[in-house]
Order: sequence, then structure tokens, then C-alpha cells
Amino acid sequence: MIFRAVEDADLIGKARRGDVEAYNLLISRWEKRVYNYLLRIVGNREDALDLSQDVFLKAYQNLRKLEDPGRFVAWLFRIAHNEAYSLFRKRRPELDGDGPAEEPSEAGIPVAGSSVFPLELTLSVTSALDRLSPEQREAVILKIYQGFKFEEMAEILSCPVSTVKSRLYTALDLLKGELAPVKARGV
Amino acid sequence: MSCSPFDVRDYVLRELTGEERRQMESHLKGCSECREEAERLRLTEAALLTLRDEEIPQRIGFVSDKVFEPSPLARWWQALWGSAARLGFASAAMLSVAIVVAALSRPAPAPPAMSRTELARLETQFQARLNQAVQQAVAESEARQEQKTRELLAATEKRYEMERQTLMLQVEENLEFLQKRFNAARMMASAQIGAAR
Repeated sequence: MIFRAVEDADLIGKARRGDVEAYNLLISRWEKRVYNYLLRIVGNREDALDLSQDVFLKAYQNLRKLEDPGRFVAWLFRIAHNEAYSLFRKRRPELDGDGPAEEPSEAGIPVAGSSVFPLELTLSVTSALDRLSPEQREAVILKIYQGFKFEEMAEILSCPVSTVKSRLYTALDLLKGELAPVKARGV
Repeated sequence: MSCSPFDVRDYVLRELTGEERRQMESHLKGCSECREEAERLRLTEAALLTLRDEEIPQRIGFVSDKVFEPSPLARWWQALWGSAARLGFASAAMLSVAIVVAALSRPAPAPPAMSRTELARLETQFQARLNQAVQQAVAESEARQEQKTRELLAATEKRYEMERQTLMLQVEENLEFLQKRFNAARMMASAQIGAAR
């Protein structure tokens, strides 16, 4: 991960000097992660792809504003988070900008893909995630699926670490109750 | 959970430092309640991770577009100020240009007026000096050549003398060897004659 960050910094330096190919290489490293993060947030493949393209375009246009290239990934996901919430606000103008609707989207936010696990388990997990609030769900996505540290999550979500932990711990307690109940473990 | 030194969730989510993890693992060995909590959290995480990432349906890529790129002048300016080496090179180049401009802009001194006789005298002097220099160069060259010949001759004589001495030594050795063989043969013959008698 450290080597990757070093290489990213090199590519960022080249992209800042106008090297589009270096930026395309940077995209190829992160596009899958950004796409899956957005897919789990917005629950729609088409929107997730459109948003991913917007994210990388905005990142390119603002690359010079990135003060520390070592924090590129958190900065990139911050843009992705903002783009997703922008979309929610456009689709649901009645929202005051605090986030998407509580009810899950029609496509279902988690993505089963070509899972090798039993369908029942996939459905249980999807259903459990759907019952979380959007903030709790995003905290789980950033931590469990994207592997960010609490400090990075706080940077992406623009909130204190204590808030991040509170959302994540509440979500984990709820998920644990459904996916690993005390008397029926071995999901 | 209150009995554990750190939050079990932080432990399972890999947010503890190495030392904190070791303390936590030590605690879990002796606390079945915390151990069960950690196990449930691990099962929850494992269940969540059964949802795999999808491949992106279409690769994202950009082509070079002037709309999104800074102008060449802006790029050059930024690159210049962004690199100490380039800035130093530019400073040196500017200083060189300033020196050249100053040298070219200074008026050259006017040549002094010179009479024909003076010119002829200078030409004669120049020719004499040239002849003298050529003669000196030829003499030096001949002297060098002579010296080299002498050195070669001396080296050849020395080598010849060494070869001659070596040859003489070999002859002496061969002669001595033959003398010894002759003596040995003579002694054997005397011994045989004595025995026959």
C-alpha cells in the first residue's frame, strides 16, 4: 500500500504537468474501487458509472489543489461522496442535503455479482444492509469493503472520528444481530 | 466488554496498534465473553464480505483535451518555478545572455594609424621570427629523432649481449653434463674389466 501511494504520487506529479496518460494509469488503479463504492451508495450501475466518470474528471481538474499527494485516495473518495450526495439532492430536492432517502433503492445497494456464496446468505446480507440508515451503510462500506482507517473515513465524510465510530459501531451492532445472532451462529 | 483493555470492535476492525493488539489477544485468551463478542464480529464481517466487488462495465479514460489542460505557457511557467534545477539553469542562461549582450554592446577600440614603412618593417620582423621558429622546431625534431635512435641502438646492443651470455651459459652446462656422463661411463667400464679379470 505504501509503494502504491509512492507510485500514485509519481503519477499525480506527471498528471499535474499535463501528462494525460499518467492520469489514465492512475484511473485504472482506482476506478474499480470508486465504482463499487458508488454502486453500493447509489444502488444503480448506470448512475455509478456516470458518477465515477464525473469523479475522475473533477479530480483531474482539481489535481493542483491536492496539497498532499499521499492523501490522494481519501481525497478521491471525498469527491465521490460529494458527487453521490449531489445526485441524491438532484433526484430528491426535498432532502435538505443530509443524505439519500432512508428507504433502499430499487436495485438494492449491495452488489451480489457472481458470488460463489449461497444465495440465501447474499440475500440476508443485502437485506441487513438495506435496513441501516444511509450514514451507517456508508460507514460500513468505507470500513469493511474499502478498508479505510477511521481518520480517512472522517476526512471523506467530513465529520469527526467520534461520529464515524458511532455510526459504524451502531451499524455493526445491528448487522451482528442479524448475521451472527447469539443462538444461531455459523451463518 | 467493559472488562477488555480496548474496544473489541477496534480490535476486529484492525484499528489497534501492534502493542494494543497483543494486550487484547492476551485478554481474549482469558475472557470468554470478549472472545465470543470478537467471534461474532468476525462472523459479521465475513458475512458482509461475501458480497463481492463488481468489475466496472466500462473503463474510464481521458484523451488529451485542451479544455481540461493548462495552457503550454502556464505549464512552462509552473514547471520552471516547480523545479530548483530548472530555475538555476534559467538564471545561469539569463546571466550568460547578459554577459554576451554587454560584451557586444561595448565599442571596439579604433586601430592605430600605420605608415607603409612601418608595415614593411613589421612584416620583415614577423617573417624573421617565423623563420627562426621553424628552424628551431626542425632542430628540436631532429634532436628528438637522434636521441630516439641512440636509445634504440643501446637497447638492441644490450639485448644482444644478454642473449650471448645466455647462450654461453647453456653451452657450459651442456659441456659439464657431457663430461659427467663420460666419467660415469669410464668408471663403469673399469669396473666391468676388473670383474672379468
